[in-house]
Amino acid sequence: MNQEQAALRTRTLLWVWTLFVIFVVYLPVFCSALASLTKSRYFLFPIRKWSFDWWDKTMASIEVSTLVKTSLMLAGSVTVLATIIGFFGALAFARYNWKGRSLFQKVVLLPIFFPQPVLGLALLLWFNALGLPLSWHTAVIAHLVWIAPVITLVIAIQVYGFDPVVEEAAFDLGASRFQVMKEVTLPMLWPGIWSGMLFAFLLSWGNFPLSLYTSGADSTVPKWLFTKMIAGYTPMVPTLGTMSTLGAALVLSIGGVAVILARRRSN
Amino acid sequence: MESHALQIQDSAISGAVKKSRGPLLTPGARCALPVIVLLLLGFAAPLTAVIAYSFAEPHSFNVFSSFSFANYAEIFNTENTVWMSFLWSLSLAAVTVLMLSVIAYPIAYGMVYVFGRWSGLVSTLFVFPLFISENVRLYGWVLFFIKNGVFDGTLNLLGGADAPEVLYSPGIILFGMIYTYLPYMLFPLVLGLSLLPRDVVDAAKDLGASRYQVWREIELPLAMPGFMIGLLLTFVLAVGAIAESKVLGGQSVIVLTHDIEVSFTYAQNWPLGSALAVLITLITGGLTLFMLFKLDLDRVLGRK
Amino acid sequence: MSETALMGVSRQKLLLDLVGVRKTFDGFNAVERIDLSVMEGEFFTIVGPSGSGKTTLLRMLAGMDQPSEGAIYLRGESLNDMPANKRPTCLVFQSLALFPHMTVGQNIEFALKMRKIAPAARKERALELMRVVRLPETYYSKNVMKCSGGEKQRVALARAFTYDPEILLFDEPLSALDYKLRKTLEKELKDLHRETGKTFIYITHSLEEAMVMSDRIGVMRDGRLVQVGTPEEIYTKPSDKFVSEFMGEVNIVRVRPDGSGRYKSEDLAGSFTVNAPASTDGYVVIRPEFLRFLALPSDADNCLTGRVHNEYSLGSRVQYQVRVGERMFLVEQPRRQSFGGGDVTIGWDAADAIFVAE
Repeated sequence: MNQEQAALRTRTLLWVWTLFVIFVVYLPVFCSALASLTKSRYFLFPIRKWSFDWWDKTMASIEVSTLVKTSLMLAGSVTVLATIIGFFGALAFARYNWKGRSLFQKVVLLPIFFPQPVLGLALLLWFNALGLPLSWHTAVIAHLVWIAPVITLVIAIQVYGFDPVVEEAAFDLGASRFQVMKEVTLPMLWPGIWSGMLFAFLLSWGNFPLSLYTSGADSTVPKWLFTKMIAGYTPMVPTLGTMSTLGAALVLSIGGVAVILARRRSN
Repeated sequence: MESHALQIQDSAISGAVKKSRGPLLTPGARCALPVIVLLLLGFAAPLTAVIAYSFAEPHSFNVFSSFSFANYAEIFNTENTVWMSFLWSLSLAAVTVLMLSVIAYPIAYGMVYVFGRWSGLVSTLFVFPLFISENVRLYGWVLFFIKNGVFDGTLNLLGGADAPEVLYSPGIILFGMIYTYLPYMLFPLVLGLSLLPRDVVDAAKDLGASRYQVWREIELPLAMPGFMIGLLLTFVLAVGAIAESKVLGGQSVIVLTHDIEVSFTYAQNWPLGSALAVLITLITGGLTLFMLFKLDLDRVLGRK
Repeated sequence: MSETALMGVSRQKLLLDLVGVRKTFDGFNAVERIDLSVMEGEFFTIVGPSGSGKTTLLRMLAGMDQPSEGAIYLRGESLNDMPANKRPTCLVFQSLALFPHMTVGQNIEFALKMRKIAPAARKERALELMRVVRLPETYYSKNVMKCSGGEKQRVALARAFTYDPEILLFDEPLSALDYKLRKTLEKELKDLHRETGKTFIYITHSLEEAMVMSDRIGVMRDGRLVQVGTPEEIYTKPSDKFVSEFMGEVNIVRVRPDGSGRYKSEDLAGSFTVNAPASTDGYVVIRPEFLRFLALPSDADNCLTGRVHNEYSLGSRVQYQVRVGERMFLVEQPRRQSFGGGDVTIGWDAADAIFVAE
């Protein structure tokens, strides 16, 4: 019995600690949501008057709708490009055994193991030196440098579980290279590709340090929020932050269900 | 070992391709091409430019036409404050990494061994914050700790005491960094621990190892690849952190990245900023390369 | 051979006693109320198909899983509260569970290191054990992952012996090896058992393996011990159809009394003489080597007529598939001329067949 008691105690402690950390992780998110529901111009807790006024104002704001549009275009472009680049990158990473593979694997990881603000600043200097005007287009490139490697890894994990012998079998049965890709490789890798797209979209949507330095006069949601945090608080800051968080949660749940369905189908 | 079989079947397919299209790159190299081009233009080139500027004359744009170590000298000149940001960034990062390993290890252990079917949900809960930009999450803490904020307000409600002033101090910056980089420590640890076969732990216990001995002799050494990745990732990201000091710290501490930003923007001293960026790159890149060449990525990521 | 083993066992003392041991996982009964006694120095083998609960039983003996009900006694004292690292048992895993980051020597010495034995003494013991399991001394500092399958097996064995546990538990340790190596190691294990005099509890899904090594065998099915006995007993007196089928390829005919002292079958012509009082329904089990070709139907107690369908060489013997009506019978006999396709008569004596009641 002693043994079981000890195991139970460990189990309980681990749960308590984990739940406590989860609580801390979500506490500020919750605080933002609270601050968005106050009627007054300044946040005072406990809230005297609750209202959705700032939600309405944020929804109606033309400035905010421009921001959201820019953020969506940015995240959309990054998703498409990063998924394509990452898909092929993942094949090179985990599927083919080519001469430079081991080196390639390390090179791909370098941008992930690099502080993003420094990467953003280096790109700022680079774009300036080239004379490129900064806009959300340049931010797409900046996001890709970081996100495409991440997506490569996400898809590579799926590719590791894929037995290349089935490609050989299809090839042997008379399929062309293109047909092998379309009929065998792609369908088997769909779950990984879906997760990759989901990650790409969400990471781009929530990215702050790269957008901050590389999008020039165009502002994304995180970047705009930052400027307002530093100077000029309005309850629209927690409101838009909360909206952005809820949007990401919605995309994650829809995407998560899609990934689970894709996985079920491919099994 | 396994790679031989792959290689054979690879060359079979590439051989067939070669017949029809003549000698191109191997399929692997062709697939790697988009990533390589992207990283050449978006990663290697900017870093090269930064290196080039770091040797230009201070406050000039004379890249390649002048060569000087003046920028580096300026960083380590004790009359300036730049070296202090350097020290702050490095020490904040080191403490962050230490604290995170203590905080994340039990959670990772639970996710691998204890939580069972709940560990999927737990990991989703820890992944999700990665999709909320760090400034939004950090700003939530401002609303929590600020005067008349959630913490202060709750204390006032309960007993009338005022909450201590914690915002705009080095301590809160550290807290913010620990908070932001938790997932980057947690998931590599989970990866590392899940590489550890359950039987091996059972065998060690069976042979008489106590719980602590199992941890020291078996768990830790075998989970080391994941642990190393976590340490490295959090350290590297924390060295370059800036949002924490801007949002929570009220610039009570000037971090390294902040100095780079100032040189690249208001001060228009590209060479100085570049020299700083080069130093950061040397530290993070050196550590990363050292680690990557010690790790067998195929084993860590899934081929085993 | 097995008689002396049996006598040896019966003289010895009771070591392990399992009383009503049961294990439930999420409402599924992996092991159902097992009662079993194991004697000191015995080589006891548990056989059963995968999923029969044998590994769970072994893990409970090792202290890695706790019984949901019942108790395990070692010389009359309950082991239930004793964790794996305190029990005088050691398990050799199916996966071997070698420590991949250590050398051969470090693996073998692990248990001693955990007990804070001085390095020199540890090394001495490790080298001694390496001699016992026939590993060259030079392997002491070899990376364990660079060893071959058979060598790893030996390392795992030596590791289990280091701290002198009273009971060694084996979870199908030979299943991953090729046939020849398995045969060699089976014999070595048997020798090791004799030389060390320790109690071995071994599980396997191969009855053949169990037959070669064990003093006694327990057959498990669906979490229950169906039969416990010496290899001889299991072979000659299987307690039910499952055990007899588990013995390898056999011919089984379902029969019921015909009222006149003999048995008849539903799908075969004629009636049969069986060495059992013709009172209950049951099965007649005939091993292929006891079925033979008859010149005259009266050459054996029972006979059937059929056609040779196929033949497989077993080296010096041949296994014939004989079709009788809708059924196939296996006949294993020394090599002889082929039959040319005509009808053949096969038969067996009542004394060679086994009757198991339904």
